Amino acid sequence: MSVQPDGRRPVNRFAAYDTDVIVVIGSGAGGGTVANELCQRGAKVVLIEAGRRHQPEDFINDEWASLNQLAWLDERTTSGSWRIAREFPNLPAWTCKTVGGTTVHWAGCCPRFKEWEFRIRSEHGPVGGASLLDWPIGLSDLEPYYEAAEDRLGVTRTNGIPAPPANNNFKVMGNGARRVGYTGVSTGRMAFNTVPRDGRPATIQDGFNYQGDKQRAHWSTLTTEIPRAEKTGRLDLRPSAMAIRIEHDGSGTVTGVVYVDAEGNEQRQKARVVCVACNAIETARLLLNSASSLFPDGLANSSGQVGRNYMRHVTGAVFATFDKPVRMYRGETMAGIVTDESRNDPRRGFVGGYYLQLHSLGPSFLATFLNPGAWGRDFAEIMEQYDHMAGMFLVGEDLPQQGNRVTLNRDVRDQFGQPVPNVHVDDHPNDAAMREHAYAAGESVYDAVGALRTFRVPPYPASHNLGTARMSARPEDGVVNEFGRAHDVPNLFVSDGSVMTTGAAANPTLTIVALALRQADHIEQQLKAGAL
Amino acid sequence: MATITAAARAIYPHDALPDDVYARVGEKLAEAACEDPGTERTIEDGVSALNGGRPFADLPADEQLEALKAIEGSDFFELVRSTAVVEVYSDQRTWQLVGYEGPSFDKGGYLDRGFNDLDWLPDPEAGA
Repeated sequence: MSVQPDGRRPVNRFAAYDTDVIVVIGSGAGGGTVANELCQRGAKVVLIEAGRRHQPEDFINDEWASLNQLAWLDERTTSGSWRIAREFPNLPAWTCKTVGGTTVHWAGCCPRFKEWEFRIRSEHGPVGGASLLDWPIGLSDLEPYYEAAEDRLGVTRTNGIPAPPANNNFKVMGNGARRVGYTGVSTGRMAFNTVPRDGRPATIQDGFNYQGDKQRAHWSTLTTEIPRAEKTGRLDLRPSAMAIRIEHDGSGTVTGVVYVDAEGNEQRQKARVVCVACNAIETARLLLNSASSLFPDGLANSSGQVGRNYMRHVTGAVFATFDKPVRMYRGETMAGIVTDESRNDPRRGFVGGYYLQLHSLGPSFLATFLNPGAWGRDFAEIMEQYDHMAGMFLVGEDLPQQGNRVTLNRDVRDQFGQPVPNVHVDDHPNDAAMREHAYAAGESVYDAVGALRTFRVPPYPASHNLGTARMSARPEDGVVNEFGRAHDVPNLFVSDGSVMTTGAAANPTLTIVALALRQADHIEQQLKAGAL
Repeated sequence: MATITAAARAIYPHDALPDDVYARVGEKLAEAACEDPGTERTIEDGVSALNGGRPFADLPADEQLEALKAIEGSDFFELVRSTAVVEVYSDQRTWQLVGYEGPSFDKGGYLDRGFNDLDWLPDPEAGA
């Protein structure tokens, strides 16, 4: 037994040669949840996490300083026609590198996927340029797990949990939305406490979500799943450990994981089962970097689909200025939603749907992202309207494409000597049409309550990264089966948003947790049956 | 340093802000120059070019703007602008100017400090 740096809980340290452990790589929504579930069911788990362990009280309520504390900033490259490749070429995604993963900076929006969003190939028919595929499961398969996930995350408006109160920013968006005739307008289903619950306090509306939640009112794996797993005595959490390769034997069964520890030393942990949950870019990269003579194109990649079908949602933001103060930064950042446009109505000029969601940024990030590269007196005057500004986020379904993909850039190496991931994205015309429609919808909402000016903000580095190891019924169409189990490798699982066959319009975390719970059931059954 | 300060102010002109806010940009660039000789050269060359005629800091605002537009898109300009956008808008004096109150955790959040005090619109229906 050794003691954590915070001195609170003793934890087990399993031996490097212990072939009985399950190794989970990544401690976010998928990895943190599956690790805890497996510990609760009696399994020994080694949880490898690239980032450091922070305590919530150490989070920094200052946008750039916080980004440097929590974000994944390792070298990456980009290509393709998306604006990110020009404006933020080394930051394609805004995810976290810390214990708790991207749940740490998650604002907590919890819409479920809709029934038709699991089968958009059938719903839409073929769409030129897109690699649409139906999921091997449907909503009914996931419903019990959605219910369990909502209870676990403490989602408002479920399980008798009170709705979030309307904050200033929502008063603007909510009134505007009603005036233009929208009816699906509410403060949303959110994974933060409106009343004390599950050992965590009610929100004090401190206005910081994307920088981590100092008060623990938000669910994250850092504050829930991981400490609970530690209490079982069966979790061996290894922070500051960067997995660089998954190894296998001559029969193609995975045998362990090679990682670089905090001191820069290479370590090898044996494993009975490996679950990969590194977020879509790093999951694909790790599988590709694990190529061998048996798996020359990358581990679990006989289909050639590893890294392909990368999705990041159709996103954007609309901000507006008003003649009276708004103070959008006060309170929970994303507690508001308009659902009317989340239906599939091809008469709008695109397939799939989108949501309008509440959103604010501090001056530091707003100045960077409002109109990247802009400067001069007009820009400065807009910034001086900051406290008279309201904001919303646009999030909708983007279509998977074979060419939107994560590949290895062998010309650029990271601090561990590994090829870095290159992320290539070209917007599909359907994505562009949806974004235009969403901008216009957002502007009309603000115009209805007297906006002086409105601003169309281009997509940020993505926080929703999906699809690079997609689920498929047939092995030739994807990387994993309906349980996230690799088609090619029986004891290898993918446990994050990479498995999403298509991305729906909804923010993905709730679905990632539901899928992780379903996967944990499957792994437990397979272990009991002696099939793993 | 005076050149960088003047350039940063011309790029993000907030007349009410003191020069100290814009001076942060030059300090940041001096740090970057220490770390990388290429960056040091970019800054030295860029500053010399801006001061090719009269000192840039002494030019009237419209001529400063013209000089900056002439180098917009250059590595030097983008280095100054991208540093300035972070430094200027992360400064608490700027936050005060634009009406941003910043961190609230130590004060109990905004729960009792106006998170829902907007009164020029009705309270929206809670919705389902």
